[in-house]
Amino acid sequence: MPLSPPALELRGLTKRYDDGTSAVESFDLTVHDGAFFGLLGPNGAGKTTVISAVCNLIRVTAGEVLVFGRPAASLEARGWVGLAEQDINLDRFLTVEETLVYHGGYFGMGRDEAVVRAGEMIDIFDLRAKTRVRTPKLSGGMRRRLLLARALMHRPRLVILDEPTAGVDFELRGELWRYIERLHDAGTTILLTTHYLEEAEELCEEIALIRGGRLIARDTADGLRESYDADTLADVYVKAMAA
Amino acid sequence: MSGAQGLRWLARRETLRVTRLWTQTVLAPVVASMLFILVFGLSLGSRIREIGGLPYEVFIVPGLITMAMVQAAYNNNSSTIFQARNDRYINDVLSAPMHPWQVNLGYNVGGLVRSLAIGLALLALAVPLTGVGVEKPLVLAVAVLLGLVLFGALGTVAGIFANTFDNITFVVNIVILPLAFLGGVFYSVEMLPSPWEELSHFNPVFYLVNAVRHGFFGTSDVSVWLSLGVTAALALPAYAWSQYLFTSGRRLKA
Repeated sequence: MPLSPPALELRGLTKRYDDGTSAVESFDLTVHDGAFFGLLGPNGAGKTTVISAVCNLIRVTAGEVLVFGRPAASLEARGWVGLAEQDINLDRFLTVEETLVYHGGYFGMGRDEAVVRAGEMIDIFDLRAKTRVRTPKLSGGMRRRLLLARALMHRPRLVILDEPTAGVDFELRGELWRYIERLHDAGTTILLTTHYLEEAEELCEEIALIRGGRLIARDTADGLRESYDADTLADVYVKAMAA
Repeated sequence: MSGAQGLRWLARRETLRVTRLWTQTVLAPVVASMLFILVFGLSLGSRIREIGGLPYEVFIVPGLITMAMVQAAYNNNSSTIFQARNDRYINDVLSAPMHPWQVNLGYNVGGLVRSLAIGLALLALAVPLTGVGVEKPLVLAVAVLLGLVLFGALGTVAGIFANTFDNITFVVNIVILPLAFLGGVFYSVEMLPSPWEELSHFNPVFYLVNAVRHGFFGTSDVSVWLSLGVTAALALPAYAWSQYLFTSGRRLKA
């Protein structure tokens, strides 16, 4: 049986911004199909740049980005990726339901399929009472729920969650992780960035530490603790970033 | 996956934006243009002799419709793209499986719908008020299409480059409005003394207004082929420019 290609493969990814700032330099990373993978690092480490390169949101300076073996810029690959960005970026003219249905449409769904799927996501993320409310009128927590629902709307094979629980209350965080774990159990690959190290330790099968645009360590949480002779992932993080 | 579905939904979203804000996007420009027709045409028009054998209130209708439509195409495309960039929900479209040409076309649909709604509403009101008719509908359709492509594309480019809303309105107030007013909307350039008549021929809006006027009356200040040719020669590079920005990602992607 042929091996399935990695969910994500970055080879020599380099991004220099127009002002000359180098965000990532010759960055290599492979995330296997079906993995729950954590990408950790301080602000400005290059996590969002890596994610943006995968999602066709930056102009890559050099290197190759493959999603399930296909170039990330290809239409096929783009349809396989679902992104929940760190910042809330919802269309201000649309209601909750429209946000989901239109997103489904952008990602190739027909109207009937998109409406049914939007209904499912509305129920899963407990947005039923706000279905016809326009996004600027939603509370912060509701917006975050909608952002996650939108990322999952088109049933992506690779879900990228960039700080999904930043500013989210404890209850929603728990609900969110339970749902993401179910998705993962069903075979969806998850790429997560978070500042909550306990979340990463609990959820991620493998963790990569990134600093100054370079990969500095990659292993399971246990492996990282052993390598850095640390008791907790937080200790690993502190030692790795100080090194 | 061809992106055709995405294009349809983006076009739908842009149309929804126009209809949801119809009082701003359609009603306001229709009222403003009707005031021009009423005040300049029907009130002051009686004091102005005929132009090219046409009553003044009839003469100004094509230019006013043109001005309202091209402004709407520019305003719509520039504002929708600027808002999408500013709030960053454009990422939802840029990351979707759509070709850059589909994204560009999808964003243009809103401007097209808005402009056509304004043009048809103004025509429907101007016909009974002034008795204006359409002599050459095909010429009119081609002229309007080229004008909307030109100003829609300029709006797209402005929306991509703008850092603030002021940048967008600056172009309207400093470039588009003066060119429209000096392009023969309210007069025939033949009435101007030299060198103003000759200088008017360097104004691209002059050719667009004349092409539209030819569609309405079958006559204009210059050859209709020259008018359509100049407008097309501007519209195609403008659209190519907007397409280049979507294809390259310049200003849209970091």
